[in-house]
Amino acid sequence: MKSNHNITLKNINKSYQKGTNTVVVHDNFNLTIESGEFVALMGPSGLGKSTLLHLMGGLDQPTQGEVIIGTQRIDNLKQASLTQWRAENIGFVFQSHHLLPVLSAQGNVELPLALTPLNKKQRQAHASYALELVGMSERANHYPKELSGGQEQRVAIARAIVSDPHILLCDEPTGNLDRKTADEILALLTQLNRDFGKTIVMVTHDKKAADYASRVINLESYIFEPKNIEVGEQL
Amino acid sequence: MNLLILVWRNSFRKKVRFGLTCTSVMVAFFLFTTLSGVNHALTSSVSNSNQYRLMTSHKISLTQSLPINYKQKISALPGVKKVSYASWFGGFYQNEKNQLPVTAVDHETYFDLFDEYHIPTEQLTQWKNTRTGIVIGQSLADKYGWKIGDKVPLSSSIWMNKSGSFNWSFTVSAIYQTADHSGTNNKVFFQHAYFDKGRAYARNSMSWLSTEITDKANVDDVIVAIDKLFIHTNSPTRTTTEQVFIKERAQQFVDMAMVINLVVIAVFFTLLLIVCNTMIQTIRERNNESAMMKALGFSSLSLIQGVYLESLLLLGLGAFFGSLLAYLLIAVVGQNFNDFLPGISIAPNHYLTVFALVNIAAAFCSAFPAVAIKRLVISETLGGQA
Repeated sequence: MKSNHNITLKNINKSYQKGTNTVVVHDNFNLTIESGEFVALMGPSGLGKSTLLHLMGGLDQPTQGEVIIGTQRIDNLKQASLTQWRAENIGFVFQSHHLLPVLSAQGNVELPLALTPLNKKQRQAHASYALELVGMSERANHYPKELSGGQEQRVAIARAIVSDPHILLCDEPTGNLDRKTADEILALLTQLNRDFGKTIVMVTHDKKAADYASRVINLESYIFEPKNIEVGEQL
Repeated sequence: MNLLILVWRNSFRKKVRFGLTCTSVMVAFFLFTTLSGVNHALTSSVSNSNQYRLMTSHKISLTQSLPINYKQKISALPGVKKVSYASWFGGFYQNEKNQLPVTAVDHETYFDLFDEYHIPTEQLTQWKNTRTGIVIGQSLADKYGWKIGDKVPLSSSIWMNKSGSFNWSFTVSAIYQTADHSGTNNKVFFQHAYFDKGRAYARNSMSWLSTEITDKANVDDVIVAIDKLFIHTNSPTRTTTEQVFIKERAQQFVDMAMVINLVVIAVFFTLLLIVCNTMIQTIRERNNESAMMKALGFSSLSLIQGVYLESLLLLGLGAFFGSLLAYLLIAVVGQNFNDFLPGISIAPNHYLTVFALVNIAAAFCSAFPAVAIKRLVISETLGGQA
């Protein structure tokens, strides 16, 4: 039976303070992404694409509304539970790879497994497999400074999938890459979605990148223009 | 991937910064350990022998002389076993760079009281029978190649002899050794009688008296009795235990204990600022990585533990090498200054203090980065602009 890891954003309001102003990013936003989908979130800067991604990954909390992953509501989890939940269920790929420069590719990929009960041998085996999946086996002992941008991003993807999360959240994963390398990375994400059933949500400005997704959500036409509301005004 | 390996590698990421900060920690603990060695000498408990030995000097200053006949008067007091006396000669060999701790002592009694100097009986007898004889330490004999029977000219910058010269002639009559082979092996003793008759002024006086009390006598009572004996004379006395006497002699120059405490406080305050600043800077530079690790599922606590371990490593390495250097220095200083301030050594519990200080400092230096890590908002740090 297919496990349920649908992503549901229900009546999401998200606003933040900027000086004396309250900036509303999302107002009564609703979205459902089904388990196994590859969704691209598009739209111009400032519409809150990354904010949605952060809400789905439990990196940020909505001002109001519910974030439900599968059957688990995560917006009201305490920080410790949320951290653990994130380690078990979510893999992140950011525009900047954020690999630790003091660790080799193998070490970087093994890093999330330090939180699991796996022993050293098992951790090494898992990391080697993840690197193999992204085509980086031969570079396992190289440090980030010895890798190209595309290779670093592959290692970052390996790190995101090594603990076998159900959901991959990718924030502009090809933003820093040339077209050819970007296509390779996108093909890799497609493969992870198709062959391993990973649910992928990708934020991108790039229409060609969005073409790899099974569904494209354009926030520009989706809901509203962001607006500024004075402090104290009711939404 | 072991998190300890990550801590280790992160520590050596900026090698120059780590090296410089570690050096500052090393200097701080070097000073702390060295000064604690001196402090140990000033505050250490009295040994068996000097618990029962009292030192009596002029009430005003050690430089003021006392009449030699005080010996007989003190000997008559109840609880007194033996009394001897001595005078500081100063002295140097050939030139003033070769300073020697030369003391004129009552040859009849001195080595009965100070039995820690081991002198062969026949040599001691020979010395007692030789007016110009000196007893020298083994290390001094080794250093200058002096043998029994050698004529040795020594000079004093204080005492002129009757012929108007500051040069005095001596003959090596005995060589002593001490059980611990420490720096006390470099002293020179000669007969007070020769000194008294030979000097141009201040005859029939001496610098201090040493009194050994009986096992049953009360130290405080004897001290009071001695000082009471001379209270209304031209030369009132001040009597203390030998240990206190030695400490006071050292503290004539400066209140060492106070200086030590001030230096230690200043050094550690500066050290904390330096290491704190380093750790804050280090963690600020790694903000993105910390946020990424939090996104991967690492708790704030585990990241803070990492920072604590890094601080601990930095401080621990500095403290280890600083203490090691101080240990080596103290070993050398202990050899050369033991006569001036005996007991210069590092007490074993000092290392426990160092251990505790390193841990406390590591915790303190991790506090600010810990707050920063705790407050780190992943979405804002890694946050996309989209």
